[in-house]
Amino acid sequence: MSGVEAGEFKIVFTGPMGAGKTTAIAAISEGEPVRTEVENTDRVAHAKESTTVGFDFGRITLADGSVVRLYGTPGQVRYRFMWDILGRGAAGVIVLLDASAPGALVQLDVFVDAFIPHVAHGALVVGVGRTDVPNAPSTDAFAARLDARGIVAPVLSVDVRRQGDVMMLVRTLVCILGSHTAHGVPA
Amino acid sequence: MSKVRPAKLSRELARKVLEGYGEVAGVQCAVLFSSDGFEIASHAADAAASARLAAIGSSLAALGTALAGEAGLGDFERTTIESNGGAVTIMRVGSSRSMSLAVVAGKDAVLGQLLWATQRCCQALAKLLDP
Ligand SMILES: Nc1nc2c(ncn2[C@@H]2O[C@H](COP(=O)(O)OP(=O)(O)OP(=O)(O)O)[C@@H](O)[C@H]2O)c(=O)[nH]1
Ligand SMILES: [Mg+2]
Repeated sequence: MSGVEAGEFKIVFTGPMGAGKTTAIAAISEGEPVRTEVENTDRVAHAKESTTVGFDFGRITLADGSVVRLYGTPGQVRYRFMWDILGRGAAGVIVLLDASAPGALVQLDVFVDAFIPHVAHGALVVGVGRTDVPNAPSTDAFAARLDARGIVAPVLSVDVRRQGDVMMLVRTLVCILGSHTAHGVPA
Repeated sequence: MSKVRPAKLSRELARKVLEGYGEVAGVQCAVLFSSDGFEIASHAADAAASARLAAIGSSLAALGTALAGEAGLGDFERTTIESNGGAVTIMRVGSSRSMSLAVVAGKDAVLGQLLWATQRCCQALAKLLDP
């Protein structure tokens, strides 16, 4: 079977603060995404000016006509309740990480643990940014981390500011979903 | 430039304002929080409960802002969630988007009175923290 049947389904972008969830959805969404950015008052956690506290929402149409609803979560653990709301009913999850951020490998565990229960087995793709920064762990290190836990998921090096990179993540996830269509990916 | 969260003294004064407001019939607890979900001051809620209310309240305020903007209605002012057991109101504090107040009220609260009192409380807090 090739690809998901034409229909409508939901993909969730998650990962820690500053990983690039909002940037990724803006890079590929058809039309302006819905954003819930507010001023970031916790510059210790991350230096950026704004942060997502509700969700990001965008939409794309795939070549086969299926519509993908894209949701981006907040990154901070205090918004865990939002992770569960957004994770519910997701066909698949894309975990984004910034390899240059401290504790990036541990963050992988945090988000995989939080979202694995929401998705059918295997519907997970990991996108790692800034692997070129000196001393940042490589994509292999993230893959090994998953492997050690018996989780099989593609790990791709991405720059979330580039539409092509983000689309590659989505296509990879859609491929996985396609191979599981028999198990009832939302049509 | 970032507006940092209010200093300790202001927070203590804000807590006093909330304490007075807590006298309003039916009010169970109140939490003042930053738009990115940190508690600034609270009344009658323990640390864990006020941290959670602050996070959820900030999401609702942000979703309210997004919805009002989408509908072309301008800025978010307040939203009230009504349920069997009572109501929760989230109201913006001051003219900036930096803070909101969440108030939990029981069945015994009269919604009109509650909203009026909450508005007064928000005005007092804005005077204190958002000059
Ligand atoms: N220099 C550089 N910047 C990047 C790269 N990837 C992402 N960024 C920047 O990192 C920032 C990511 O910010 P957001 O998209 O707001 O991150 P987020 O994951 O939505 O964060 P929260 O909503 O706070 O959880 C943006 O300013 C991007 O431009 C990269 O490879 N190099
Ligand atoms: Mg974001």
